[in-house]
Amino acid sequence: QVESQSQELDWRKSMSWVRQAQRLRAGLRVCRLTRCVCSLQSGQFNEDMIPTVGFNMRKITKGNVTIKLWDIGGQPRFRSMWERYCRGVSAIVYMVDAADQEKIEASKNELHNLLDKPQLQGIPVLVLGNKRDLAGALDEKDLIEMMNLSAIQDREICCYSISCKEKDNIDITLQWLIQHSKSRRS
Amino acid sequence: TGGGSNPFQHLEKSAVLQEARVFNETPINPRKCAHILTKILYLINQGEHLGVMEATESFFAMTKLFQSNDPTLRRMCYLTIKEMACIAEDVIIVTSSLTKDMTGKDDNYRGPAVRALCQITDSTMLQAIERYMKQAIVDKVPSVSSSALVSSLHLLKTSFDVVKRWVNEAQEAASSDNIMVQYHALGLLYHVRKNDRLAVNKMLSKFMRHGLKSPFAYCMMIRVASKLLEEEAGNHDSPLFDFIESCLRNKHEMVVYEAASAIVNLPSCTAKELAPAVSVLQLFCSSPKAALRYAAVRTLNKVAMKHPSAVTACNLDLENLVTDSNRSIATLAITTLLKTGSESSIDRLMKQISSFMSEISDEFKVVVVQAISALCQKYPRKHSVLMNFLFTMLREEGGFEYKRAIVDCIISIIEENSESKETGLSHLCEFIEDCEFTVLATRILHLLGQEGPKTNNPSKYIRFIYNRVVLEHEEVRAGAVSALAKFGAQNEDVLPSILVLLKRCVMDDDNEVRDRATFYLNVLEQKQKALNAGYILNGLTISIPGLERALQQYTLEPSEKPFDLKSVPLATAPISEQRTESIPITVVKQPEKVAATRQEIFQEQLAAIPEFRGLGPLFKSSPEPVALTESETEYVIRCTKHMFVNHMVFQFDCTNTLNDQILENVTVQMEPTEGYEVIGYIPAKSLLYNQPGICYTLVALPEEDPTAVACTFSCMMKFTVKDCDPNTGETEDEGYEDEYVLEDIEVTVADHIQRVLKPNFGAAWDEVGDEFEKEETFTLSTIKTLEAEAVSNIVKFLGMQPCERSDKVPDNKNSHTLFLAGVFRGGHDILVRSRLVLTDTVTMQVAARSGEELPVDVIMASVG
Repeated sequence: QVESQSQELDWRKSMSWVRQAQRLRAGLRVCRLTRCVCSLQSGQFNEDMIPTVGFNMRKITKGNVTIKLWDIGGQPRFRSMWERYCRGVSAIVYMVDAADQEKIEASKNELHNLLDKPQLQGIPVLVLGNKRDLAGALDEKDLIEMMNLSAIQDREICCYSISCKEKDNIDITLQWLIQHSKSRRS
Repeated sequence: TGGGSNPFQHLEKSAVLQEARVFNETPINPRKCAHILTKILYLINQGEHLGVMEATESFFAMTKLFQSNDPTLRRMCYLTIKEMACIAEDVIIVTSSLTKDMTGKDDNYRGPAVRALCQITDSTMLQAIERYMKQAIVDKVPSVSSSALVSSLHLLKTSFDVVKRWVNEAQEAASSDNIMVQYHALGLLYHVRKNDRLAVNKMLSKFMRHGLKSPFAYCMMIRVASKLLEEEAGNHDSPLFDFIESCLRNKHEMVVYEAASAIVNLPSCTAKELAPAVSVLQLFCSSPKAALRYAAVRTLNKVAMKHPSAVTACNLDLENLVTDSNRSIATLAITTLLKTGSESSIDRLMKQISSFMSEISDEFKVVVVQAISALCQKYPRKHSVLMNFLFTMLREEGGFEYKRAIVDCIISIIEENSESKETGLSHLCEFIEDCEFTVLATRILHLLGQEGPKTNNPSKYIRFIYNRVVLEHEEVRAGAVSALAKFGAQNEDVLPSILVLLKRCVMDDDNEVRDRATFYLNVLEQKQKALNAGYILNGLTISIPGLERALQQYTLEPSEKPFDLKSVPLATAPISEQRTESIPITVVKQPEKVAATRQEIFQEQLAAIPEFRGLGPLFKSSPEPVALTESETEYVIRCTKHMFVNHMVFQFDCTNTLNDQILENVTVQMEPTEGYEVIGYIPAKSLLYNQPGICYTLVALPEEDPTAVACTFSCMMKFTVKDCDPNTGETEDEGYEDEYVLEDIEVTVADHIQRVLKPNFGAAWDEVGDEFEKEETFTLSTIKTLEAEAVSNIVKFLGMQPCERSDKVPDNKNSHTLFLAGVFRGGHDILVRSRLVLTDTVTMQVAARSGEELPVDVIMASVG
């Protein structure tokens, strides 16, 4: 299976956060890779998507739940801004390129840096390993180990291996997001 | 005061920024958030300072508002982004949001999003949005295209190389049917190319051929064309001028006016070229539109300064505008008529204008003063009418510029004719009794100190001056003390009273005032004319920055010898004394500083050359380089003469205009006719095509007969030529020797003398004394007039500064005395008093004084 690596060489991450909304609607703000957002939103997959410069905001409505997704660029110059968009959210979704093992180390450090911020304490985190369709991609177990996720004890943390391209495990990701918006409401 | 009408008047920054936290809440309340953004923008525009932290905090909160689709709120966000782009950090976070809006479906968002995006984008991010910018420039929606073009123009400043890649798109936009898009596209194209004359010319001729839809674009083309014409210097026989003239027949008034205005503003425009432009302006004078009438009469007013006769044809139309209900138009019409009309109409026009003087703004009052000033020079007989008018204006309310214009005008009248001096001075005395402008007060005090002692009743002015010491603040007090000292130095009968007054000033609260009073008191108490002349009446003539540098140098390299004031370069004489009549009084006179810096640059360049180390300080550099070659020849050589105490350095600025050769080891060999001796040559190592180089020739001044200073040098440029390929720049290894004959260089007595102004020539004359005075009488047989020929020739020949305005010869006089002052190289003052009598020919009696014999001998030898 051949995929253009050039677009995806830049490992990226995404964060999401979920916040309560009125009545039956739950607002979920997600910040993560545009490509994944698109899969979540409409099932579209676009090979040419350009990297996010800054942020994008989208809404997804599933049944009576509305999820707000804030998709923030992963390039180094945007990393210092992640925290601003993570304050007070319902959940953070952090996405890494599971097929790019070289960058996993840096990716781990950035995640731990982010979660060390006192303002983000206790916010649930979902780590997504994208590109499970590629040979040599890390699975959940490898990710948990290499990202040192077991060290994160002060919050709920979960890890899925997905493929935006093949829409693998997108449904459980969405399920997780909806759960975490609802769990906040009760 | 009007507080009820401004709901934002009492805003407090911290409270507003606190409110901005609402932006983080969901759901968003667009009305409330837009209102808070308005408050933030209001604060920024009122000059409130936002710290980086608080600005960034609010900016990021604002980004959350992009989730709302309320159009008003979104537009407020764009405005906020633009205002905060340079205050907050990390503003590029909104890049994606803005690119989404600029490429989206809502046309109302697209233009503003482009503008905001270009504000937050730095050169590193620009490449990422380049594709979108190119698309936006050629967008079919005019507002989007215009926004992109104008934003590109702003980006040129920081990212020229990226933006210049967009010219193809701009080119396409330039053929748009929308007048704004076409105008903005033309603007961008011009600014990308403006450093490339050829490209601008090409662009202009292309659009001249095809024609344009947009009147704005036409106006811009006219401006560009007239700029090019100006640089071409006087060649109006070009397609550019034809284009501008053809625009006089454009169907848009805007274009017609722009063309007329461009033509009348061209330097060196002939009456024939002016005529069609003036007749267009004449038509505008009777337009029902006030703006057109205003533009026309304002432009005609300017034309009237340079070409009054060209405007005379419009006198009738201008007369109709005198009663225009718009006072600005009426003022301009009257002042134009004052310049073009006859002497007989002055009284009527002045009366007319005084009827509404109080209704017009300062700016137009200055126009009136300028017109009066011009009249005074034209009709000396009208002085009393005009002076009275000026005094009335001086007493009324007005701002600084206006009052300064009046004072300038009165001072120039006083200087021009002596009959009006006493009235003028007493009115100025009255003015400073209640004058809120320090600059004017000190200026008038200076004038009183200079002119007052020479009047019949000096003591009358002393009272006014001493009042200033009692009543005013320190700057004016210091000026008053200096003025008092000048009375004491020249009038023995008032000296005792002046000494008493100065003694009181010694107790002043202010340092400067005390210092001046103490200094003057001690000088005056010596009762020596020479001291008075040197320290009170004629101040230092050296350059102050030069003194500072020389003293600093002296402290760095301490020596046994005392500091020698003669080693300090002289200040070049102030230009105001040489003012010619055609320059209006408001022209700012500041060439003094420029001249000083030019000599300073030379001094530094020369000091850097080891061979010139022992020459001492640079005494004088010739004011303008002299061309030693005809224009359009192979080589362009220009010479500047630098005078030192015992040497001269000739500087040759050389340019090689042949692209198929380079010159090496270039020198200019010089052959003197008199006792000068060539000591050495500093060659220019190599002269590449069109790259200027410098070579020098060092010459010793004559020793045997030091008075023979005038000399002619024949000059020959010697060099090695190497042929080279103009395309590749490849040079042949072997060269050959060649020579090139240059024009002769003249060294005259003027090169040895620096002009210096002595405000009080008589005192300076006495100060130098008659030890080395010489006097001789000459007949100037070829000269027939006093001022035009005799005076100006002598001034030019000796290169000395006329003092006491003695370069002006009153009309119908047959005898005149010219006072000239200067410093001879080596630092001795040289003064010349020249009595001229006109019979059939001019007889000239020349007396020269100096502290040394040589300068006097030099003057006598060269006049003879």
